[in-house]
Amino acid sequence: MAKRRTKPLVFQFENDEVTFDMIKVDRSKLYGFKELEVTDDDGNGCELATLAEDGRTIIGKGGTGIGYLAADGCWAAKSNLKPVDIEGEEITPVKSSFGAPIPLTEKVDVTEFLNHNIRLSYLMQPEALHENLMKSLTDGAIYRFPYSYRGGLEADAGFLLMNAEQQVFFLVGDPTVIEFVGLQQAASVAPDAEAAEAESEGGGLMDFGMI
Amino acid sequence: MPEINICNEAGRDAAVTMESVFKPLRVRWIDEKGRQAQSVRILKSTLDRDIGSLSESHGKLEEVSSALISSDPEVDMEIVGTILNNTSRVYVNPKRQIVHRIEQFEIIKNPDGSEREKRSRELTVKNVSEQTPLKWSGVFIKRDEAMRKFLFSNKLQLFHINGLTYDFLFGICKELEEKDSLMLLGAGPKGNQPLILRRGSVPYRGFLEGRTDGDKYCLLLHLSNLELKPPEETEES
Repeated sequence: MAKRRTKPLVFQFENDEVTFDMIKVDRSKLYGFKELEVTDDDGNGCELATLAEDGRTIIGKGGTGIGYLAADGCWAAKSNLKPVDIEGEEITPVKSSFGAPIPLTEKVDVTEFLNHNIRLSYLMQPEALHENLMKSLTDGAIYRFPYSYRGGLEADAGFLLMNAEQQVFFLVGDPTVIEFVGLQQAASVAPDAEAAEAESEGGGLMDFGMI
Repeated sequence: MPEINICNEAGRDAAVTMESVFKPLRVRWIDEKGRQAQSVRILKSTLDRDIGSLSESHGKLEEVSSALISSDPEVDMEIVGTILNNTSRVYVNPKRQIVHRIEQFEIIKNPDGSEREKRSRELTVKNVSEQTPLKWSGVFIKRDEAMRKFLFSNKLQLFHINGLTYDFLFGICKELEEKDSLMLLGAGPKGNQPLILRRGSVPYRGFLEGRTDGDKYCLLLHLSNLELKPPEETEES
């Protein structure tokens, strides 16, 4: 199977530029994968579609889109909307991480790393060995930097680290909100009633079937 | 709120609640007056007016394209743009009709894409619930080691439901924190099977992490189904 490589990623470390080739690693490459074949009683192949609330409108792949409603319930063109952060400050779009070297200056500890959900992993192969960077990674450093593949409104959290076999990996993740709870913050809801609500809304527990 | 039943080191079990940790909202869209807009899912096109359907009714693609220009047969003016809520997923046959009885087959493929096996689909059975306690495995992995061996793609947070379970969970957190370790949490009689949180969902390896801050605690269940290692072909090369 041909290796799928993306553009090299360049880091700025101690005034040097360090270039890495990226090789995406996912479950299919490590363990194989499953394909699902669905047939009807006559053996004809079937496809997934979406059934609207009316019970008769069938929507095929690509048949839905995202629109925006203003506070008054009228359609709002996206060109008339402005992206802001949670405090209401205008967001400055980020550029693609492949456009310029990424400074490797921020180290994080294991706790901070574990606060993230990791969704992409790449094996990194340096074009030339940078001794200081490799030594730092071997010593256990975890570097965090903002990462965006194409550029856009916000950057993901990127991490550069070594795995247990001393191979360099680049991981992309999302921060999560983790809270400490005390005795007074007991979940006083009746679990049974809440469970039924969560099931009906598909909320609460993540939908593992979608992963 | 879903429940989970876990054991502590002493073998005592308790049913507690768990929730997905949430991702912070980072981007909002506002209009010219500073009012927040909300995104909605809308209907763009229906299956009975897709290219396959129009080809059947109009013939060749040239004729379909002429019809698209002259009479907009791809657009159902009554429903296009409708806001979609409460939709369902269904299977349709090649005639674009909903199928009510289906057979599902799994084709298992090797990393190189070659077929290994074809079999009827077997839905995984949920093995995490309030009834069956998940055993204390006693398998500890230092946090620094675990994060370099496994890729944690999701996490859940466990919460107490009363004073007794507060003490129970706080005690587990304290112990894990003192060990600076994650503990493997598995299902089944020996506690070595992956966790399946819903029927038909992906099995995950679970790792418990405990943190404390004064009299507060944070008990996390990290979920992983991927090791942090290169594919074999890369190792060979």
